Amino acid sequence: MLRCSRLLGLVLACLIPACGDGRSSAERAADEGVLVIGNNQEPQNLDPHKATAVADGKIISALLEGLVRPDARDDTVVHPGMAERWEHNADADEWTFHLREAQWSDGRPVRAQDFAYAYRRLLHPAFGGKYAEMLYPLRGAEAYNKGQAPWEAVGVRTPDDRTLVLTLSGPMPQLPYLLMHFTWFPVPEHAVEAHGGMLDRRSAWTRPENWVGNGAYVPEERVFNDYLSVRPNPNYWRAGEVKNRGIRFLPVVNGYTETRMYFGGKLHITNNVPPEMLEMAASREPGSFCRDDYYCTIFYRLNTTRGPLADQRVRRALSLAVDREMLVQRVVRGAGKSAFTFTPPGAGYALDDGGESARSQGERETEARRLLAEAGYPDGRGFPTLELMTSSRDVQRLMAETIQAMWMKALGIHVEIRSCEWSAYKAAQQNMDYDISSSSWSGDYLDPATFVELWCSGNNCTGWGRAAYDAEVDAARASAEPEQRLEHLRRAERMMLREQPVIPLYWSERTYMKSPRVRGWYPLMLDNHPLDAVELLPSGAAADAAPHSREGGSER
Amino acid sequence: MMTMHSKTSFHAGHSLWADARERLMRNRAAVASLVFLLLMGLACFVLPLFPCIANPNATDLGNIAADCSWEHPFGTDQLGRDLLARVLYGGRISLLVGLVATGVALVIGLIYGLISGYAGGRVDALMMRAVDVLFALPFIVLVIVFSLSIEEPSRQLTQWMVESLHLPRETVAPILGLVPLFIAIGALGWLTLARIVRTQTMEIKSQEYVLAARSLGLGHLSILLRHIAPNLLGTVVVYTTLAVPGIILTESTLSFIGLGVKAPNSSWGTLIKEGADRMEVTPELLIFPSLFFCLTLLALNFLGDGLRDALDPRSAKD
Repeated sequence: MLRCSRLLGLVLACLIPACGDGRSSAERAADEGVLVIGNNQEPQNLDPHKATAVADGKIISALLEGLVRPDARDDTVVHPGMAERWEHNADADEWTFHLREAQWSDGRPVRAQDFAYAYRRLLHPAFGGKYAEMLYPLRGAEAYNKGQAPWEAVGVRTPDDRTLVLTLSGPMPQLPYLLMHFTWFPVPEHAVEAHGGMLDRRSAWTRPENWVGNGAYVPEERVFNDYLSVRPNPNYWRAGEVKNRGIRFLPVVNGYTETRMYFGGKLHITNNVPPEMLEMAASREPGSFCRDDYYCTIFYRLNTTRGPLADQRVRRALSLAVDREMLVQRVVRGAGKSAFTFTPPGAGYALDDGGESARSQGERETEARRLLAEAGYPDGRGFPTLELMTSSRDVQRLMAETIQAMWMKALGIHVEIRSCEWSAYKAAQQNMDYDISSSSWSGDYLDPATFVELWCSGNNCTGWGRAAYDAEVDAARASAEPEQRLEHLRRAERMMLREQPVIPLYWSERTYMKSPRVRGWYPLMLDNHPLDAVELLPSGAAADAAPHSREGGSER
Repeated sequence: MMTMHSKTSFHAGHSLWADARERLMRNRAAVASLVFLLLMGLACFVLPLFPCIANPNATDLGNIAADCSWEHPFGTDQLGRDLLARVLYGGRISLLVGLVATGVALVIGLIYGLISGYAGGRVDALMMRAVDVLFALPFIVLVIVFSLSIEEPSRQLTQWMVESLHLPRETVAPILGLVPLFIAIGALGWLTLARIVRTQTMEIKSQEYVLAARSLGLGHLSILLRHIAPNLLGTVVVYTTLAVPGIILTESTLSFIGLGVKAPNSSWGTLIKEGADRMEVTPELLIFPSLFFCLTLLALNFLGDGLRDALDPRSAKD
């Protein structure tokens, strides 16, 4: 009901774009220097040790700063953040970070111990951090996380307040890229301790009134299902370089609604233009429409622990019967590339798909039918009804309906679509209470490892796991020679694709709207935009300003 | 009902019901609505049986969002499915929900109200407080909780019907998938009706003819069935016609938030939602389902109005 009335409000808002003084709400915000940005969904958690959603990560990255910080133009550039400088040993498995003199938003100094405290909290076996694996590169972290070793055995040392020494389980020249992820951020030990302590999962320290952070912004106001606003943190060490006067994050799940809100003057940057609106959006405001490469795979997870999906041949048949070319052209409307392997090409990594993409769909379907018959379901006879779970996002539902029809046509099997609200979807996936789950994975850093490591035994939510696979990934972690490392990853991925615990569908692009008044936002493969670099031009100036493309902007 | 009353009336053809029918027939809007609803029912339930209507779930990715043509009178949707077929099948589900759920609500509300009003005293007070409590809870939330809790059994029922009775899944699944919705809406939609029936019952209970019946030694059940229930029917019929649109709307709301029909099946609610999302790009996906939906609701309302006027004894003078 609430959503209906909100939608109605939006429709009305679109019909009456100008109210009050004739400026749209986005224009008013821009005049105040406040950036209004569509952030997909309501943030679940601002605690970096409990958050897992991309939407949460974007807000956390504005509120906290790690040892390094991202560049606005280039995914491969790393700027010093809390660490003024760092050095590593010859093997690149021991890193020393020298922290700068920085303060938390309450004026207390940021100490190396705050980092150690944060890592200990996320890894603590009793805390149950969902993203604890992100810290597994630390020596002994995995054992500590699983309760097999004491904290003292973990490779984190703080010789003094301003020095942090990280010892890794293997050489890792790419460590600085990892550090940009919010799981590596510090948390204020004093504030967390003041609100329930390290292991309190319901800790209130992230509430706006209790918040203490070291990032460019501090939370200002949160209205549930409406917006979360942040304002500049006066104690931030680069406070003078923050280019705007605040950000408002709007949780708008529905891409149609969001795009409409953009045209209605409610947003400066949107999260997503849905496929069917691409053409309309691009022709209506060509100067605002952005289409960026994105380090992201859209795929289906298969629950390999039960029913017919425990059979590798069935999984393979399902994968072969998906006409990816059609899917990308007609449903995604070209905003992506068909994927026959999992990891998107990039960062020096590409995996040949064994001639898969060269075959015709007819050939693939013939093989799919043969495999299904071998597995004991000729023409889909006797195949139980599986459930295809999607989140309530429209593109995902549309894709599910398409693939449902493809499987029906090619294999004669029926799957039922269950569309769930995001947290229910997440929970079902985590508890393996699904058959097929519509998923996506976007890289945490620009390296194939962020994709390949996903399928190590344990927490990959498919029930799939091979010791040989884990061994290849470990070998890659331990390898200092770049080409050799990539070869280990390739071998691992090939092994995984043979057994098909997932069905890769396509590598998506990011399509969104960006107001001409926005400066300092460039296309990034990882979508890790430092929001403090975003500037809002004064009204009227946008028309005179240079077009996006010349600025190196995201238009193509 | 007709026979019962014509027996008690002295001049054949001048019963309350005959009068009512005559008054209804004079109301052009109501008659037109009735005809329209019959046609709509035929279109939704009978027309799809003929092969000229395409399979509503057959996607054709080579032909997405096509314009109107002879092959696809309303064009096709975002996955190349025939929109006319989807609107008709959607109508099936929406109308079915409207009728079945209203039926469930009718039966419960009628019995509950009759007992409460007839018994009076403590029983009445207790029963009405229970209604008050249910009224206080938000309807949509209750329906959501209720329909989710009976989802699993109904899925098992579908599975069983497909596997043991060899019924085709395409026809069984969309309807049976809605059983939780029917039950949930029906089981919670009877509250208003129960109150109306109770009030009416209390009024009729004190009429002389009921006293006469009682003094003649008639049992409670006979009094309820022979003397009270028939006199309630007018009110109930009117309430029902007016309740159906509300219940179709509830189904739309639930489908809108993803709890009604399951993809790829459609109801008018889901079609309108999908259409509303794409209204700038493909307005016909919004216009056609909305047209069917609005006209049906309008017709039901006109018919309800007409019936109310026709069955109101005080309007007999004109």
